[in-house]
Amino acid sequence: MKVAGLDLGSVNTKLVILDNDQPVYKKTLPSRFDPVTTGRELLKEAYKEYRPEKTVVTGYGRVSFPESRVITEITCQARGCHHFYPEVSYILDLGGQDAKVIKKNAQGKVINFVMNDKCAAGTGRFLDVIFKGLHLAPGDIGLALEAEPVAINSMCTVFAESEVIGLLAKGTSKLSVLAGLFKSTATRLAHFIETAGQPESLVFTGGGAYYQPLVQLLAKQLSIQVMTPPEPELTAAFGAALIGVSEG
Amino acid sequence: MENRELWSLLEMDLEKHDDLLAPLQGYFTSLFLERANRPQGMGYFDMVVGDIHGIRVKELAVAKKDGSKVFATFCVYVPEEIIQAVGSACVGLCGGSQFTVPSGEKVLPRNTCPLIKSAMGFKLDRVCPYFQVADWVIGETTCDGKKKAWEILNDYIPTYVMELPQKKLTRNIAFWEREVSEFAAFIEKETGVELTKDNLDRGIAVINGKRAALKRLASLRKAVPSPIHGLDVLLINQLAFFDDPIRFAKQVHLLCDELEGRIARREGVVPTNAPRILITGTPQPIPYWKIHALIEQGGGVIVGEESCVGERYYKDLTDPGASLEELLKNIAARSLNVNCACFTPNSGRIEDIVFMVNNLQVDGVIDFTLQFCQPYGVESHNVAKEMDRRNIPYLKLESDFSEEDQGQLKTRIDAFLEMLVC
Repeated sequence: MKVAGLDLGSVNTKLVILDNDQPVYKKTLPSRFDPVTTGRELLKEAYKEYRPEKTVVTGYGRVSFPESRVITEITCQARGCHHFYPEVSYILDLGGQDAKVIKKNAQGKVINFVMNDKCAAGTGRFLDVIFKGLHLAPGDIGLALEAEPVAINSMCTVFAESEVIGLLAKGTSKLSVLAGLFKSTATRLAHFIETAGQPESLVFTGGGAYYQPLVQLLAKQLSIQVMTPPEPELTAAFGAALIGVSEG
Repeated sequence: MENRELWSLLEMDLEKHDDLLAPLQGYFTSLFLERANRPQGMGYFDMVVGDIHGIRVKELAVAKKDGSKVFATFCVYVPEEIIQAVGSACVGLCGGSQFTVPSGEKVLPRNTCPLIKSAMGFKLDRVCPYFQVADWVIGETTCDGKKKAWEILNDYIPTYVMELPQKKLTRNIAFWEREVSEFAAFIEKETGVELTKDNLDRGIAVINGKRAALKRLASLRKAVPSPIHGLDVLLINQLAFFDDPIRFAKQVHLLCDELEGRIARREGVVPTNAPRILITGTPQPIPYWKIHALIEQGGGVIVGEESCVGERYYKDLTDPGASLEELLKNIAARSLNVNCACFTPNSGRIEDIVFMVNNLQVDGVIDFTLQFCQPYGVESHNVAKEMDRRNIPYLKLESDFSEEDQGQLKTRIDAFLEMLVC
């Protein structure tokens, strides 16, 4: 059975088409403030070739697809991560506008979850804004691990931006700022995870998981193994399609 | 008398009041009137809400002409029985709308509970006819925010403050009994009516009658499937603070008769497997329906509110007594049984939640706290711990009266409901 899983996120819109549990198509497009239109375009384009029998929609734009099966990204994320890491109970999903910790059981069903407050502090968007402001190349991200992290105290995106400007003006290197950014975010995420429990291991997913130094710092901070799926921004769309397949 | 004429006489800001009411009509229609499968008995309550600033205010204005007084309150600890006994009226106050929050913030810090800011704004803006018709506000010391806000409110309307103890030891009970007696003396002085065993017996009977009706309604929600939406019961619980208590109780009983018929026919407003939710936490004053609406639109059904606009208001009745003094003592004893987070310790509340979970066959608990409410916000930790220990699914939500977080709340609530279904 062919099922499309569509995840309408605040930063990116993601589509995965599964033939049973095998992916036959994957695509990510920037949402450009309009994930609903982006999602419809993605579906239309993919439909011509793959003709999925049904579509399961998730992500914050899901409410605009009342004709489809609609499931929250929390349930889909758990199902998607369960496919790759059935033995890991805890998931950290660092998305564009929120961070979530999800606890799942041995069947991949959600048994508890927590979400961050309503502002963008410490989310993927926060990291993206500061990273963009530093004018570094994506290839420089890994170098942050070797740099001496400078303390960054502000977690508000707006205040952190001005703090970074101040640090650069004082002559702090960009890599130290980046290292500091990852360190302060890892600390914040570690506390956030501990409000939901004491994981023995963790799946780190969502676009934020592409910042590998952050993943490594978090693992160090929590003294646990942290795994990232091969395409961390796709796991919710993947999970949505998997749920569609199992519902028949 | 036309409503506008009455509102002018009450020195209301008519233009602002129009702005306040304008969006409410559509909101109420889509949330309530257009919802399928509502009991016919809701007709009366819909009518009262439809003219929420009219009918009842008119009655109060007429009663005032005949010499009675209007005492406005915010809290279930204020002994309504005493006010009822001397033939005066006790009404709740408006305090559940974002519309008046910015005005409240002119005199209060922004980091204050939205209920306090909204209520203050209603008075400052002169858009609540209950505030305008009231002779006195009866405040209490159930949180620091309210305690200090009364001092400011007193500049705009005479405010009497009852001091609530923080523990429930013998000496605290004696203190509260004295506070209730002093309140009785204050009411006698203000109304010029002497409190007697006879009139207090009657006052207690009326208020007990209202509470008994609400208890009956609450117990019918035990049925699976639930015969009524939580939104409708929330509305009734909210109106319990405004309406004439005798008429209100009669209408609640009529609704209950209808619901008993539904239960006998195994008719419900939701499928049998709809997740049954208990709401616990801070009050949801009228017209705050956001949380209930999101839960029930998501496919859940709310079967109980462990809240001041709910169970805490009507859980216990006042016992009869042989003398006036004994009656006052019993009034104090009843209210002190209410398990508010302003007390320490407050383990009784956790017991109440667990009892309601079992009694109402609850599938999941949603702990709702208004922003900046310290007592309930802090107590959430203990509630969560106990729910976890008992494997009762639990979700904590924090919000205010604004609409801007609907999306985030919806994701949390829908995910919680999905968790309960699959």
